[in-house]
Amino acid sequence: MSNATFGGNKLGRRSLLQGLGVAAIGISFGGLAGCSKPESGAKDAKIGGTGEEPKLNFYNWDTYIGETTLADFKGASGVDVNMTLFASNDELFAKLRAGNPGYDLIVPSNDFVERMAAADMIVPLDHALIPNFKNAAPEYQDVPYDPKRKYSMPYTWLALGIGYRKSKVSSPPDSWKVLFDSDEYKGRIAVLSEAGDMFRLYGKYLGKSVNSLTPEDIKAIEAMMIKQKPNIKAFHEDNGQDLLLKGEVDLVLEYNGDIAQIMSEDADIGFVIPKEGSQLNSDNLCIPKGAPHPKNAHAFINYLLDAEVGKKITETILYPTPNAAAKALMPDSYKNNQAVFPAAEVLAKCEYAKFNPELQPKYEKAFTRVRAA
Amino acid sequence: MAGALQDWRQHKRPFAAIVSAPIFWLVLFFLVPMGIVWLYSFGQNVGPAAIEITGTLDNYKRATEWLYLSIFLKSLAVAALVTFICLIVGFPVAMAITFATEKWRPWLLLAIMLPFWTNLLIRTYALMMLMGQNGYANKGLGAMWDGASWLRTLVGLQPLEAWTPVQLLYNNFAVVLGLVYVHLPFMVLPLYSALDRLDKSLIEASLDLGAGHFRTLMKIVVPLAGSGIAAGVMITLIPALGAYLTPDLMGGTDSQMIANVIERQFKRANDWPFGAALSFLLIYAMFALVALQSLRGSRAKVGAH
Amino acid sequence: MALFGRQPIAPLEYTRKLWMRSWVGATLLFLYAPLILLMVFSFNDSKRNVVWKGFTLKYYEKAFANESLVEAMVNSLTIALLATVFSVILGALAGVMLWRFRFPMKSAVEGVMSLPIIVPEICLGVAMLIFFARMDWPTGLPWPLNLSAITIAHITFCFPFVAMVVRSRMASFNREQEEAAKDLGASEWQTFRDILLPHMKPGLIAGALLAFTLSLDDFVITFFTSGPDTITFPVKVYSMVRFSVTPEVNAASTILIILTIVLTAVALKLQGVKGIAETH
Repeated sequence: MSNATFGGNKLGRRSLLQGLGVAAIGISFGGLAGCSKPESGAKDAKIGGTGEEPKLNFYNWDTYIGETTLADFKGASGVDVNMTLFASNDELFAKLRAGNPGYDLIVPSNDFVERMAAADMIVPLDHALIPNFKNAAPEYQDVPYDPKRKYSMPYTWLALGIGYRKSKVSSPPDSWKVLFDSDEYKGRIAVLSEAGDMFRLYGKYLGKSVNSLTPEDIKAIEAMMIKQKPNIKAFHEDNGQDLLLKGEVDLVLEYNGDIAQIMSEDADIGFVIPKEGSQLNSDNLCIPKGAPHPKNAHAFINYLLDAEVGKKITETILYPTPNAAAKALMPDSYKNNQAVFPAAEVLAKCEYAKFNPELQPKYEKAFTRVRAA
Repeated sequence: MAGALQDWRQHKRPFAAIVSAPIFWLVLFFLVPMGIVWLYSFGQNVGPAAIEITGTLDNYKRATEWLYLSIFLKSLAVAALVTFICLIVGFPVAMAITFATEKWRPWLLLAIMLPFWTNLLIRTYALMMLMGQNGYANKGLGAMWDGASWLRTLVGLQPLEAWTPVQLLYNNFAVVLGLVYVHLPFMVLPLYSALDRLDKSLIEASLDLGAGHFRTLMKIVVPLAGSGIAAGVMITLIPALGAYLTPDLMGGTDSQMIANVIERQFKRANDWPFGAALSFLLIYAMFALVALQSLRGSRAKVGAH
Repeated sequence: MALFGRQPIAPLEYTRKLWMRSWVGATLLFLYAPLILLMVFSFNDSKRNVVWKGFTLKYYEKAFANESLVEAMVNSLTIALLATVFSVILGALAGVMLWRFRFPMKSAVEGVMSLPIIVPEICLGVAMLIFFARMDWPTGLPWPLNLSAITIAHITFCFPFVAMVVRSRMASFNREQEEAAKDLGASEWQTFRDILLPHMKPGLIAGALLAFTLSLDDFVITFFTSGPDTITFPVKVYSMVRFSVTPEVNAASTILIILTIVLTAVALKLQGVKGIAETH
């Protein structure tokens, strides 16, 4: 191509190849060398007790399952669980919105259970197939976001709070004020980049319910956020625990489960749910519409709710479990961890956020303005 | 171009044989899907997962609000700065490759391209690891600071005060640096390709006639490599304008770029019609840039003859 | 380094000037420092990439034992190979079409051909998602048919690049050769096979390599077209590192980088450095 004539943009695109070309050779050989065709193990496995092909497509969060849970289930039922990962509720929703490409079991958070039920994207569960539902703690057997647990089964729950480095704060940050309305820790704070959560927690700080914000409130909160912005170091993408552990920031708005995980690695980390109360979240097991193996999915849900199984999962992921029977089997160090299980009087002030299709775009737009300010 | 173009009417059969497959593909697997999104940009949400195409222009009206225009302009400024830095950094590198020996040229090219072969996200995280508060870039700077402090005590001056880590991440500087890191090869290769075709005797003549290296560079090399520079600028500017991962991960509280806003509409905000409108405005803008560029290109070509 | 010759420096040997070398050296340091750090930390005996805690090889064992990672790699390569083959065919045809013919709406067609390069990735991803859902594209097919949706999406954004390369390569073609062949009685097809195709070859190779690269590293569009059985390497890595990069991902990347370097070096040696330089 050395003597080609070219004009404008084509030149760039074409010459890009030169380098790409040289290097591409490597990859093309490189990849081939280390790989072999995956075996289709499903075919020769025995048929599970459900009468369906012994296969299950589980769409889960990363680091959200016990180390041997999937293998154990295969041993118990013969069903081969194929777990793939998503990174946020938004991704999950966007991906399933136009239709289900073959997932059997998904793990949306509470507001997305509501949203997906409203959009007819998940199917009602057959409680007769999930006897282990009785293991769930009473407060998780009937929840505001899914009355009578029609569509979802509890998997974990979480509460937002403040993770902090004990040696770098004057006193435990027990109010949202330190994050939202103070320059005491200027440049050492990271908060969430999720607009809805941010506005609702500001609402909490102002003494309102997370579900009672009005457009006027949003305006007032937006002004507060812009005022506080110079004191914030970053809006993190739910990787706040990493920022805290690396010493990038000293205070971070995060979920208790995430902070509990790093507390086991670094004794200098603390977690507190502010006295104004906070927002609760809960991740739930749901079967998306069009799932190819709904019976297997029911069987797997039932298996996950088993006390022993739940215990093993909890030991790995360290999140608060709504499974009372599993919790009972856990050691005291877990049960008495204030980060994992905040005191009852603190929890009493926490609420679930309702899915609100009118306010969500308003939150987004206001937050875009905050970022642009 | 060598030879004149053939008129399709005089060669109907070969024309049909050649044209049908790519056109079919482009229409079915590109225009139809993009057409649906384009229609969505004239629609509105009627439920969490339902969109009704009502022919409304509301989305475009919202998308042209000053808020989004200002973000677009800021993104354009950031992308332009990134492109400019890439040009300044990349030009000498491209020159070096051009004037390297036959034996070394492919290896140098490869060295520039190789980082391209690592996943973008992994590369970004690696850069963040280097630039963190307790990262090695800061440690290196700290060591240099301590060294300078020690030197001062040697000559009897007061030592410098203790080193405080510099804030390298989570600001606009980090975004620009990260984007330069990712896009540098995009710039070097077109530049190299243009310089490679340069008649080297022109440079020799200029030097022989007493012009300095810098003068030769500005008066001879840069004008002759003009089309390569323009191509490099386009090929760096367009992806930089569409970047969302780098500002997301490395940016501070005010580092959002237009692609972040678009991404949020499709994911978090679940507002596909608005996301579609924003996307198409961006497409129109970029299309205008490309058209402008090829117009300039063809004009330059006409001028040369 | 052979760059360091002993002869006096001629005016044009910029590469042998100190400032030029330091500039290139500094640029390469900037490009490689993060990657080297990443490789070093793949041996770090800690769950996180924060501080050095000691040497270990356990993350390499983990990466090799991670079946889904290996499976994702196989999927990625299969898709990339398929996408490359189809993109080269379509791209070559499109390139020839734009180079050879004058036809109505030509500039519109040219414009549309450049669109897949300009469209924001997320927008094309969503478009593909909706398109395949609306078409009721079959899912759950046996491997490798289940990769069809991703492959189609990849071909769509790869082949315009190939078309551009081929077109600019063809610009240097001497039409008279073709006419001579026809005068000597060659059919349209024979002319294409024996005259056009050999001239096009370097462009096809370059285009193929580019398509392969683009396909192999794509995340956004693949994410929206993948299903439970069709995870690719970038999608897998993305979900693994969203919250923090573990040394296991570092190890997998290091393996890939080393393999790339070694095999590119071998390829350069085998095919001859000069041959590759001429290709471009």
